[in-house]
Order: sequence, then C-alpha cells, then structure tokens
Amino acid sequence: MAQIPVQTIHRDPQLFYWILFPITIVMILTGVLRHYAAVLMQTAPKKQDRKTIREQRSLLHGINVRSNFHALSKRSFNNRRDALTAAYESGAYLKDPERRGQPPPNPMSDPSSMDGMMGMMKNQMAMIIPNTLIMSWINAFFSGYVIMKLPFPLTIKFKSMLQAGVATRDMDPRWMSSISWYFLCIFGLQSVFNFILGDNNAASQMAQQMGQMGPQPQGQMFGPGVDPDKQFLGEAENLAVIEHYSVLDGVEQRLLEGSSV
Amino acid sequence: MSPSLLLHPPGQLSPAAAYYISRQAPAVLQGSPSTVSSSPLSALFSEKESPELWLKYENMLLSCLRTENDQAAHLFLERLVTRFGDDNERIMAFKGLLKEAVARQNGDQVRILNEYDQILSENDTNIPITKRRISLLRSMGRVSDAASSLVQLLEFSPTDAEAWSELSDIYLSQGLYAQAIYAVEEVLVLAPNAWNIHARLGEMQYMAANATGASSGSYQKYMAEALKRFARSIELCDDYLRGYYGLKLVTNKLLQDSNKSNKQVDDDEFALPDVGTIERLNELSTAKLSEIVRHSTAQDRGWRGYDPVEVAAARELLSSDAAAIER
Repeated sequence: MAQIPVQTIHRDPQLFYWILFPITIVMILTGVLRHYAAVLMQTAPKKQDRKTIREQRSLLHGINVRSNFHALSKRSFNNRRDALTAAYESGAYLKDPERRGQPPPNPMSDPSSMDGMMGMMKNQMAMIIPNTLIMSWINAFFSGYVIMKLPFPLTIKFKSMLQAGVATRDMDPRWMSSISWYFLCIFGLQSVFNFILGDNNAASQMAQQMGQMGPQPQGQMFGPGVDPDKQFLGEAENLAVIEHYSVLDGVEQRLLEGSSV
Repeated sequence: MSPSLLLHPPGQLSPAAAYYISRQAPAVLQGSPSTVSSSPLSALFSEKESPELWLKYENMLLSCLRTENDQAAHLFLERLVTRFGDDNERIMAFKGLLKEAVARQNGDQVRILNEYDQILSENDTNIPITKRRISLLRSMGRVSDAASSLVQLLEFSPTDAEAWSELSDIYLSQGLYAQAIYAVEEVLVLAPNAWNIHARLGEMQYMAANATGASSGSYQKYMAEALKRFARSIELCDDYLRGYYGLKLVTNKLLQDSNKSNKQVDDDEFALPDVGTIERLNELSTAKLSEIVRHSTAQDRGWRGYDPVEVAAARELLSSDAAAIER
C-alpha cells in the first residue's frame, strides 16, 4: 500500500507573527476589556423598601414554621399557625393591600423588574458586539489563510471545524485556518482569564452562557409577575394541612435507650 | 496564633483569649496588606483578596475594642472603610460601635443615639444600625425602649434569629417568662437543630416553672417541657454539659416533689414521664456529669474545652446532691 505523501505547504513564516499572535492578543485584550466593562455596567442591587422586606420575610417565616414545626410543642405550633394563617388570609403582610385580588401587573411595565431585564440585555450586548466586531475584522483581513499545522493527526471530521473559510477538499485536516483559530480562542481562553482576572471574571462568554441557562436561585420566588397574595394563601393552606408531631415526643426514651447506664 | 481563632466571631472568647488576640494587633496590621488593589497586574504578584481577610479585620476590631486597644481598633476600621466605603451598612455599624466604646459620659451616648436616629430616618431598613441602636438603648438602661424597637424590627424581619434571641434575653431579664419562651421558640424555628438553644429553652422553662406565682398546672407543663428540651439537647450533642446539668436539676426537683398529685394534662401539652423514667434519667445525668467533671479536671485528651466555670458548677451540684443523700 502506498503511503500517502505528506502534504507540505510552504508558508511565509511571517504569517505566524502577523496573524496568529495578533488574533490571540486581541482576543485576550477584549476579554479583559469585557470584564471591566461588565464591572462598570453592573448596577448595585436595588434597595428594597421596608414593606417589600416585610412581605418576603413574612412568607419565609411561614415556610420556616412549616418545615421546622417539629421543634415546637403542639400548643406553640397551633398558636403560630393560627396567627400566621389569619394574617396571611387577611393580607396583613402584603406590600399594598389595596391591590389585593387584582391581576398581577404586567412585568414589562413594572420598573423594578425592568432593571433585571436591562441587566440581561446589557450582558448580551457586551457579548454580541465585540464578537461581531472581531469576527468581521478577522474575516476582512485574514480570511482564506492557512496559518498553522497542528502537531498531531486528526480525522476528516475535524475538517469543517478547523478549516472554516478555506474551501479545499483534499487538504489534511491538520492544517488550520485563521477563523478556526479564532473559535479555538473563544472556547479555550477561560483558564487564561482565570489567571489574569481571578475566578469570577466576566470575560469568558462560556461562563456567562452557563449562568443564563442555570436556574436563578432567589429570583424565582419573589420575581416579577408572581402574585404575593396567592403565595400567602398557598402557604396558609400548607400550614393548615400539617399534622403536628414533635421531636420531643418520647425523647427521654430515646435518650435512655441510646446510653448505656 | 491559630488562624481559625480569628475567623470566628469573638463574642464567645474568654477574656484571656481576647487579650491575647488584641496583643497580636500590630503583627496582623503589618502582616496583611492595607489595601487590596483590583488591577490585574498587581493581582498577579500580590496576595489575592479574600473574604477571610476582612473577616479577620472585623474580629480583630472587636477584640481590640474589648481590651481597650482603641488605637489599633481605629486602624482596623480605617482599612475596612477604605475598602467598603463610608456608607456600607455594616461599616456604619462598626463606626457606631467604636464611638460607643469611647463614649464616657451619658451625654455622649445620647448624641450617638441621635446620630443613629438620623441615619435610620434616611434609611429605615438599615438593620445593622437598628441593632446597634437597640443595644445602645439597652446599655443605657432604657430596656423597654429597646424591647419595643426590637419588636418593630422583628415585625418587618421575622427571620432574624439574632434579634429573636436578644428579645428573649431582654424579656427574661424582666421576668417575662412566657414572652421569653416564645422568642426562643422562634429561634428554634429558624435553627431547629441548635442544641444550645434547646438547652436555653429548657433553662427558661425551668425558671418559669419555679418562678413565684406559677400555678401548679403550668408548673407541671413547664417542668415536663424543660425535661424534654434538655433531653433533646443531649440527643443532639453528646456530652453537652449544660444539657446534663439541666436534666439533673429538673429530675432532682421532680423527684423531690413526686408525692404531689400528678394531674392529668390535656392533649396539647407534654406529659411528665413516669417516676421510674425520671429516676433513670437522673441516674444517667449524674453518671455523665461526674464523668465529665472527672475527665475535665484531669485534662484528659478529648475532654478539654469545657468552660471551667460550668465544670465547677456541675461539681457543686454533684456534691450538694451527695450531701443530701448522706443526711
């Protein structure tokens, strides 16, 4: 079987200095810039007024009573349950009791929820704009070059990944085009940013995308568009169905059994 | 100095330990950076900023104030201010604390109180300053004002365990046992596995049972729950001295007046266990207490760390018990 002759392409060594390095450096610098832009654009979390805090923490209080009822004696639990249920059902903890029973306001018109959306928009913009710019810059200046040869063999499947923008059919997939180098930089610079900017940097877009996909822990419960009155009523119902027992029931027997005297 | 000593809130430290820490202040001030730059270049070469650093500063600040090392405390506060700014709520509370510490006359305290009121009128959700104001009121002797402010704070923030325990402490100091017990129960709702809080609640129930004016029905109710609370605290934390001490105290008391009529209690209340169980609990707590006292006095490995005052109290209880038997 005849050996396939090794492809050799004579490249100008200057390609290396004038394309590979500039792309890498520009990518790192944009990452750093994006990090600082994100830090600058971050708005401080909005101060909650007293009524909002009261509404949220009263609900949390009810949840705590519901989940830790076993630490209380039956009488104290019943007292708390009666008080909480009465307050929840009468809407005593609501931020604005007059608005009770009305449909929740459109989240788009609520200024407090607009902040969150603006923040998300800003993040998206900070990601999209530099990417578009760099991509078009690379396309305009460096498209169609093969800039380096990877030092290890690859299968044919990698061709479309590594040779984007170079339309040849027979070239060995080890050869790599400038656009592909750009994509590799996008995905591979995370550790470099970690080294330069510390762990929770905003430079890498991968991390940002992960964050957007992940669940938002605190936001859901008191988020915009959730009717607190419904939450309170639901919580009152949860409290009402609890069948009380206490950890103190028979604790002395447990103690005597567990100890050897 | 073990670094972990600095990372815990210094409220529980013995005076000797607090003094020791405060003596370390110059070394800590020199050994850690005064400001942490956020620029990437310097971050490559210098120590990274960590939450522990600022926690250390806060705890050093508190220990220094406690031992009258005001100068060092000012230096620590300065560093915290340069990092977090003047209008950070926590920092504002520390600044107030420092002023309170150097206040000598009553007039100074009133002025600080007015400052707090001023801050709170601008921002009524500033919880650290609210708490400082309450403790200042309490130390000025205006206990009822402190209690009513605490109630106001808890009205809009009912998930604050620290405030609930402070409120229970205030009520207890005024002899309002039912209110104090209610407040501690709220702490238990927030932290159901805190064995010290269980024991504390047991102590309060015991006090309430033996307070003058308690009817025999409520006596039995309180004693039964006190017994169970102490048992629970031991169940949560083996070899917990306060739990065993309380258990022994309660069972002693119950055995003493076991001849009293054992009234039937309704379903909502805890019933006292029968006399045999109480006797066995008493034996158990006596055995455990003497074991703790013996090992702790001998400084055995694994038995250190008990508060010497508590061990002495346990020894006293045991010896008074023995004297009663001899008689």
